[in-house]
Amino acid sequence: MANTLRLYLTCIRNTLEAAMCLQNFPCQEVERHNKPEVELKTSPELLLNPVLICRNEAEKCLIETSINSLRISLKVKQADELENILTKKFLRFLSMRAEAFQVLRRKPVQGYDISFLITNYHCEEMQKQKLIDFIVQFMEDIDKEISELKMSVNTRGRLVATEFLKQFV
Amino acid sequence: MILLQSHSRFLLQTLLNRVQNLEKSVELDYHWVEFDDVRYHVQVSMKNPHILLLSVSLPTPPLEAVFLGGLPFGAIEAIKAAYGVIVQILDPPRDGFNLTLKLNLSKLPPDEEYKHALLVKIASVREVVLGAPLRVILKYLASRTVAPDMDHLVALVHRPNESFFLVPQAEKVTVVFPMRFKDSIDTVLATSFLQEFVESRRTAGLSNAPPCLWSHSPPLELKGATDDALSANAGFVTFVIFPRHVEGKKLDRTVWNLSTFHAYVNYHVKCSEGFMHTRMRRRVESLIQALNRAKPDQEKTKKTAHTRSFKRLSLKDSCTNSSS
Repeated sequence: MANTLRLYLTCIRNTLEAAMCLQNFPCQEVERHNKPEVELKTSPELLLNPVLICRNEAEKCLIETSINSLRISLKVKQADELENILTKKFLRFLSMRAEAFQVLRRKPVQGYDISFLITNYHCEEMQKQKLIDFIVQFMEDIDKEISELKMSVNTRGRLVATEFLKQFV
Repeated sequence: MILLQSHSRFLLQTLLNRVQNLEKSVELDYHWVEFDDVRYHVQVSMKNPHILLLSVSLPTPPLEAVFLGGLPFGAIEAIKAAYGVIVQILDPPRDGFNLTLKLNLSKLPPDEEYKHALLVKIASVREVVLGAPLRVILKYLASRTVAPDMDHLVALVHRPNESFFLVPQAEKVTVVFPMRFKDSIDTVLATSFLQEFVESRRTAGLSNAPPCLWSHSPPLELKGATDDALSANAGFVTFVIFPRHVEGKKLDRTVWNLSTFHAYVNYHVKCSEGFMHTRMRRRVESLIQALNRAKPDQEKTKKTAHTRSFKRLSLKDSCTNSSS
């Protein structure tokens, strides 16, 4: 189980290292504009092939690159109803704070749970390796956090139930 | 505080303050609301500092659990039995309230412990009044009989416009709670909590606790109840109470725990959500710290009295939208 996680993350890391070669590119259509080309997708010569990395049916990662920007979309595993709402709540919490995270996208891409948008400006400000480390650590942290939240809910449920039933004994 | 306490802390505080300063004339007029829409009003006037008027308003009962005479059945007897001569029920109650009690604080017993216990009991007026019908039914259970002309399916109110159901029998009482939550997240959390109730019952130490069941659809005991009584988005919880759960001192505790079961689950669902928010905030902070590590170290500017600090031009300043 942990084995596939390592492989999945290594694959994503390698793909990001190859894909994160961004340079400044002013907009071709409109003068004096500079837009992330991966969001607009107007000129096919500026886009690379998107790469889809699937760990299993429930978890996948889509990496779309263009000349000046890179978009990473993640779909996180949600086994049951509880994990579903915990994931939605947590990722919505993060997306609301996209401003603080800088590389996070406010809305996930259709069909995914959370998305990052990395532009050439981010690459100029931050070191590429550390940025990739951040993305991979983010993915690990999401998994860890969701499972810890679920465990805390179950533990609290058990405690609540035991205390209540003890009152009758 | 894991369990909900039966006395209202604010009311107890007010009573203790009054009792300690009985001779001081003071004007008091407090209104407050507690969980499940129970409202209180306390009034003390300057003229009679040892008289305290306490009014209680109960949650609106749904159609199947309507109060006859403005109070749940058995409430008046329960008040008289619990409080004795200190309390006088005023009829009609204050406008907007179900019950008004006139407390004569000079008639409190002199013994400190007894006085404190009685004040705690007065502060638990909610338990006495709202839990009165349940107490009546469970008292009959303790003597292994059923109250005469009791319906087969009894509906008692515990939240505004919502009730829970009892099937009183001679050797056991089955209590069914339809659990309803307004928010979808609350519903999912509550469902997982309620399933824990069933699981924990199976552990060794709790084999004497009432058997507990959870089901998504209305159980058989609710056959014959109205349709909106039968809709519950977090399922139905069934407890089976036996005489051993209501003998002697356990009766009051059982009445309180059952009357506030829904409130208890709701309280812990909300605590759980609050805790999750705290965790998420902490996680966000640690992630932002990880992101800041990706930035190359900022130049540290020294500020002394004589030197001015200069801001180094960074690449950020040169990257603007209008750059060609």
